[in-house]
Amino acid sequence: MIVLENPLLEDTVVEEEGSGDESVDDMEISGALKSGKVSEEGMKTMTHINNVPKLKERLEAIQKKLPWIENLDVTVDLKVPIEDMKAVINDNFKQEMLFYKQSQVGAQQSIARLISMGISTERPEDYFAEMVKSDVHMKRVKEKLISKQLTMERTEKVTKMRKMKRLGKKVQQEVLKKRADDKKGMIEKVKKIRKGKAEQADADDFEMNTEPETSSGKKGKDDINKKRKAKDSKYGFGGKKKMAKKNTQESAKDVTTFSSRIHSKPKRSAKNDKRMGGGKPSGKPSGKPQRPGKTKRANNKNRARNK
Amino acid sequence: MYNQIYFIAMPAPEELVIAQPPEPLATSKKRKRPKSAEKKGKKKKGLDGSKPAKRMTWTNKQRALVFAARGITFHARHLMNDLRILMPHSKTDSKLERKEGLYAINEICEMKNCNMSMFFEMRKKLDLFMWLSMVPNGPSARFLVQNVHTMDEMRLTGNHLKSSRPLVTFNKAFDEQPHLSLIKELLKQMFATPNMHPKSKPFYDHVLGFTYLDGRIWFRNFQITDQAEGSLVEVGPRFCLWLIKIFSGSFSGNVIYDNPNYKSPNQYRTELKIAASHRYKAKAEKNAKKAAVEIIPKEDELDEIFHTITKDELKQAG
Repeated sequence: MIVLENPLLEDTVVEEEGSGDESVDDMEISGALKSGKVSEEGMKTMTHINNVPKLKERLEAIQKKLPWIENLDVTVDLKVPIEDMKAVINDNFKQEMLFYKQSQVGAQQSIARLISMGISTERPEDYFAEMVKSDVHMKRVKEKLISKQLTMERTEKVTKMRKMKRLGKKVQQEVLKKRADDKKGMIEKVKKIRKGKAEQADADDFEMNTEPETSSGKKGKDDINKKRKAKDSKYGFGGKKKMAKKNTQESAKDVTTFSSRIHSKPKRSAKNDKRMGGGKPSGKPSGKPQRPGKTKRANNKNRARNK
Repeated sequence: MYNQIYFIAMPAPEELVIAQPPEPLATSKKRKRPKSAEKKGKKKKGLDGSKPAKRMTWTNKQRALVFAARGITFHARHLMNDLRILMPHSKTDSKLERKEGLYAINEICEMKNCNMSMFFEMRKKLDLFMWLSMVPNGPSARFLVQNVHTMDEMRLTGNHLKSSRPLVTFNKAFDEQPHLSLIKELLKQMFATPNMHPKSKPFYDHVLGFTYLDGRIWFRNFQITDQAEGSLVEVGPRFCLWLIKIFSGSFSGNVIYDNPNYKSPNQYRTELKIAASHRYKAKAEKNAKKAAVEIIPKEDELDEIFHTITKDELKQAG
């Protein structure tokens, strides 16, 4: 770093970073002197160089007269009033909005101009080329966004549940109360109807069907147990019947138990009965010989024993 | 306040830019060059994949050299790489050694056939500085780079075609001061990809925004998601430039502009330290004052009740 004795010049030239570029520093001193902007009075004031003619000359030197298509540059004038600008400086969000707006307006102007020149600006669907950020990276970004959204939803849900819980108790109490009141009211009405004050009670509230509902139950046609039926017939309606075995006019007339099938067959008399010896005699019905009588069997037995 | 759309009544396109009105494509036929001299990887996709009706060759031969000095940290290096991706007309070089000095950059550019240079240097591994320069004779400017966010950040969700030509937008404030219009020209030539550059892609899907606000230049890069509505998504990187000085030559020459509002980061840190020490000093003085004050206890009337008369008091009394 160059050590200077003149305090005036120190302000303009000192580079605390210790730039290793001494040539530039040299030039800076000479520049400061040349521009003639170093003031002699006011030792503590910062002297700043603003060599406007030189700036303009340099600008002209580098400016190229090229058609717009080469640079595609646009100057955007968002007419923001000064008071708003002061607010913007302190507020990051407003700053970003300003930058966004500027780019938006500029882009729209440029694109309109390109379209008017007949140049297509949009990428067709089938044009695949390398993107600035890799697919892997974009996937990670997407995942991050999704997870953020999920956490937000979760927290919202949780806060909602907490709120509901606080309200829930109240709501429950109210519902119970209401139910109790309704019940009371209904009972009152029923009492009134019973007492015969139907008009006051307003029976329409009840909305009951007078006809029994025919519901198809699981049991089917006869709901009553068969066993029960049998017992009823035997023991029901007054218990055991003393005259059960005695005929009445109706029971004598009753021919439901008479079976014509059985009684149409020929009578089994002694004459016809084979066991009694009647009917047609037949030979040995089975292959077996006729069994001898008791005495003969006993004699045979004795004979066998004695032999 | 931003509900009122600051949408200016669009002037006719010709009024917008200082440069000449657009030339029709037909005139460029004069400039056809023999095929051998042309590009290696030139991809000229005509509309709908058909052969382009009119050919315009790459005439605006701008090449930028983007590189850094030694001592650069990863964050700055990522930023540099991101900018290289954004500028398909850029070339790179290995890190510059300190002892070579800044003037060597001009020689490197000449070797690489570049006419512009963007050079990053880092001090104390804390402060990042950027040089923009037009190499053979042109002016150069030095900036302090702050608020750096690279493209890798998860919050910057946009994506655009690599090497597509950017639409560059500037604030009105750039035209109001001569040094700013010079800076605008530098930025415009540096960042705008030349037309028909062999590496460039033919579609326009991102826009760069340079805004001069609060004495600093803010840079944003947006992807155009919907051309009709003009909805943008930020792609990144994003940074903020604080102009320090403009020199008349490339890494050399007189200072032609010096920013009065610029405060170097070292200066800022020393000021903080002094303020902290002031705080300590003030506190110490206060405590000293407190200690110096004598505490005289109040006289209590009830003390006299239990006061036993000593021999000395008797003697004094007489």
